Amino acid sequence: MIRFEGAGRRYGEVRAVRDVSFEVPRGSLCVLLGESGSGKSTLMRMVNRLVEPDAGRVLLEGRDVAGLDPQALRRGIGYVIQSVGLFPHWDVARNVATVPRLLGWDEGRVAARVEELLALVGLDPATFGGRRPATLSGGQAQRVGLARALAADPPVLLMDEPFSALDPATRRGLQAELRRIHRETGKTILLVTHDVEEALALADRIAVMEAGSLAAEGPALAVLGRDAPPAVQRMLRPEALAFQRLGVLPAAAFAEAGPVPGAPGLPGDATLRDALLLMLAEGTDRVSLEGAAPRHLTVAGVLAAPWAETREAGA
Amino acid sequence: MRRRLAWLGAEAMAFLAALWAAPRAGSLWGWLFPEVSRPAYTQDSWFALLASHLALSVGAAGIAVLIGLPAGLAATRPGGRRLMPVVDAAFSLAQAVPPVAAIALSLPLLGFGAAPTLLALVLYAVLPVLRATVAGLESVPGDALDAARGLGLSPWQRLRRVELPLAWPVLLSGWRVALTVSVATTAVGAVAGARCLGTPIIIGLSNANPAYVLQGALFTAWLALLLDRGMGLLSRPER
Repeated sequence: MIRFEGAGRRYGEVRAVRDVSFEVPRGSLCVLLGESGSGKSTLMRMVNRLVEPDAGRVLLEGRDVAGLDPQALRRGIGYVIQSVGLFPHWDVARNVATVPRLLGWDEGRVAARVEELLALVGLDPATFGGRRPATLSGGQAQRVGLARALAADPPVLLMDEPFSALDPATRRGLQAELRRIHRETGKTILLVTHDVEEALALADRIAVMEAGSLAAEGPALAVLGRDAPPAVQRMLRPEALAFQRLGVLPAAAFAEAGPVPGAPGLPGDATLRDALLLMLAEGTDRVSLEGAAPRHLTVAGVLAAPWAETREAGA
Repeated sequence: MRRRLAWLGAEAMAFLAALWAAPRAGSLWGWLFPEVSRPAYTQDSWFALLASHLALSVGAAGIAVLIGLPAGLAATRPGGRRLMPVVDAAFSLAQAVPPVAAIALSLPLLGFGAAPTLLALVLYAVLPVLRATVAGLESVPGDALDAARGLGLSPWQRLRRVELPLAWPVLLSGWRVALTVSVATTAVGAVAGARCLGTPIIIGLSNANPAYVLQGALFTAWLALLLDRGMGLLSRPER
């Protein structure tokens, strides 16, 4: 869907991005992970031509973006930034309607779409539609930013540190919302972050940037493997790697059949990390998994999981 | 808003009433200046003086906007930033020339009357317009501009829908300064023979008639204040 081919960009003597090649498959949520100055934002901004590569190229659905009209290209790609950048002189509804209006939709269709999107991001259209951005909390503003990016139903969404300025509880809430929206809409999402936890919470695939180069790229589990490159190990803290892998393993895949009376219940879509945290919180060594058939997880099963899975999936 | 507008209307009516009464209030001026034999200025209609004063000053402010706004826009575009110091220096120099000197210097070229006055006023008023344009456009939040670009607004759409509306209050404050300055300064044009509210001042000075001077000064200042307040009413952010 999005394909970088030897993409590079210099600013004077600094090579902000050098020779990056990888592909973001259609419908995946790919996290570009890296420290400040690693070139991750520069790389992402090449996709909608806010930055022009001076080496290599970027393909969107097989077409080199350099050959596309920048305005038309950008209207077909959702764009969300850390500081949100809502237009302060327009109310929430008009902000969300930005791209549909640029595309010349008629007013009725725009209004219906705005309502639909505010509902999708969890804001009541009647309450929020007429409010000015200055009256919103940080989390509400970023919800509006997300709705604005999705307004014209673009197949691709670029998100530059979208949740980094929010407090932890709000951030977790919006991460969960983004996962839900990704599941419901099937968008291809490229999200930039420096936060490893966030990458693990969101990513199907992770691309790790270091000093302008691509240090690793692949399915989240593979990137977090024992043989992860040093740059990845350093960012993720090697001693925490096993715990972080739990965060991307679905509990359902490791559950054993049979009911456990009286054990605390875990939602069916929880990860092994959720399972372990629940065991810690409840002081128990087994939890039951909610779902049609009775299943449960044991602490021994969770402890064996992080590297066991590699044999099945990594082979 | 409506109340302020009503107040302004009432003040404008009072101003016009005073203009009408001025030539008929010989006893008032005579009481203030007992040594003057003909204390009420009656050589011209005050309304005719007001009309040409307004035409000169509003025209000059308008021309200053027509020059200063595009210059400010050009100086804040990516390609024009290098021009900024040059433009600012040129406009500062223009303002540094006192209007009366500008009139005197342009007399040989433009002759007597309105033309040298207009030139001097434009030179004087264009700097506040330029500075306000640049300051207003630079006050637009960078994140809103980045978002506008990323969402696919063309440069013209970014200017029209995001930058100008957000810069509007600052732009207008510059226009307000330009207008107030040129209304107050237009009176100087009387030395070049431009008919305006300064004409009674010049005639009064050359004929040792302080009553004329007071009448001209009073109405010039009053008009400048009125227009300044009127512009103040406009300076609310555009939707």
